[in-house]
Amino acid sequence: MSEEIKPNEIVDFLKPRVGARFKMWLGICAHCGLCANTCHYYTANEKDPKMIPSYKIRFLKEILKKKGNVDKDYLQKVYETVYYECNMCRRCTLYCPFGIDIALMISLLRALLFSQGMAPEGLVKAIENYKESGNQMAVSDEDWVETVKWCEEEMAEELVGLEIPIDKKGAKILYTVNAREPMFYPQDMMEVAKIFYVAGEDYTYCSKPGWDDTNLSMFCGDLKTSKMIVENTFKRAKELEVQQVAITE
Amino acid sequence: MDFFLFVEGPLLWIAFLVFIIGSIIRVSMFVFVSTKKDKIIYQHFSWKYLFSTIIRWLLPLNKDIPKNPIFTILAYIFHICLIVVPIWYAGHITLWEESRFEWSWTAMPDELADWMTLIFLGIAIFFLLRRIFSADIRLISTFSDYFLIIITALPFLTGYFLTNGTLDSITFFSDNIQLIHMLSGELMLILIPFTKLSHYILFFFSRGASGIEFGRRGYSI
Ligand code: SF4
Ligand code: SF4
Repeated sequence: MSEEIKPNEIVDFLKPRVGARFKMWLGICAHCGLCANTCHYYTANEKDPKMIPSYKIRFLKEILKKKGNVDKDYLQKVYETVYYECNMCRRCTLYCPFGIDIALMISLLRALLFSQGMAPEGLVKAIENYKESGNQMAVSDEDWVETVKWCEEEMAEELVGLEIPIDKKGAKILYTVNAREPMFYPQDMMEVAKIFYVAGEDYTYCSKPGWDDTNLSMFCGDLKTSKMIVENTFKRAKELEVQQVAITE
Repeated sequence: MDFFLFVEGPLLWIAFLVFIIGSIIRVSMFVFVSTKKDKIIYQHFSWKYLFSTIIRWLLPLNKDIPKNPIFTILAYIFHICLIVVPIWYAGHITLWEESRFEWSWTAMPDELADWMTLIFLGIAIFFLLRRIFSADIRLISTFSDYFLIIITALPFLTGYFLTNGTLDSITFFSDNIQLIHMLSGELMLILIPFTKLSHYILFFFSRGASGIEFGRRGYSI
């Protein structure tokens, strides 16, 4: 993490990303406050005015105005707002007369911070894992397949004939999981296997990266990794010629 | 040239031209830049979601009515008065008839115009006080937010004084109120394209863009 903030880096990062909508929104927000009581951070914090959605995006306006001339402390303040005061749920947009998309701008600010090396540790670690292994928990392909097999064995004792298909070409559904499931909650996978079995659904897991449906990199605006994750799943879906991809949650 | 004649003639032209050309530039800039940087709008373009969101918010059919009824209804009345009075006030129509365009249309009754002006001013004062006294709104208000309420209210205030002769006992006003009225109207027109008042036209583009953004996930806002 560099201590020195280079304004031109910030400007270069924002320039291609601040589109016509962002400029328009920063310009026409009437500061009417209609979005205030629509934000759960506002209502949960005893109507703290600092939680008004429109107020949270002042940072973007300021950074653009200052042409990136901000210091580390300032970015730290931005960090606290964009990570602890908004979860990009977009509810405020539904009530803004102009439909101003606060969450999109918060997301851009998170991306800007990420480009400056500022992001929650957990997310940074997850992104490393995605890049290495294709899933957020760095489960190896072998361990993943082994876990699925183990689930199958466990369940077969209860439901005779139960199988958990892996890489079954032409199945109807490609089923994906949260990578925490094989790591910490394989019982969830077993429950799902039960349901699929009883329902008689034609589904399959895939053995190669693409089986983890979480996309944590999205939360710090790392769109490159986000894209890679989604593309992995699409690739598997195509290879296996499935009709649908199902995701947990 | 006499200052009055300048304000009545060339300055009025300038104000209208700045307003119209400025608005066209704001819109063109949005369209031009968005085709490069906001491709998502065009990739998922849908007249259905675009129109439904605009209609829902032009008419009081939206979520804000139940959520913040008082403020929202006042805001609707405010905007209706703001648009209707200047366009349909008989005195203004006479000026259009006398102008080189010789345009004419049916006027609203003067008494209604008077009432709508008073209601408009009442709401403007409420908006101003709300900005000053509500901790919420004060925090998000900038200088231009206060300033623009006053700029928007001035033509109505001076128009009321002018037509009702309220301040005629003061010589300065009886001599100049028409001049002040015209100047205040021109100032507002000139400021529209450069300030948040440009929302009068950008509203349609902003709602449209977000309508499409939510519409591509099958949700009409
Ligand atoms: S509701 Fe929209 S216009 Fe009003 S303050 Fe919030 S973001 Fe700005
Ligand atoms: S998107 Fe952010 S600011 Fe808007 S309602 Fe959700 S948490 Fe609040």
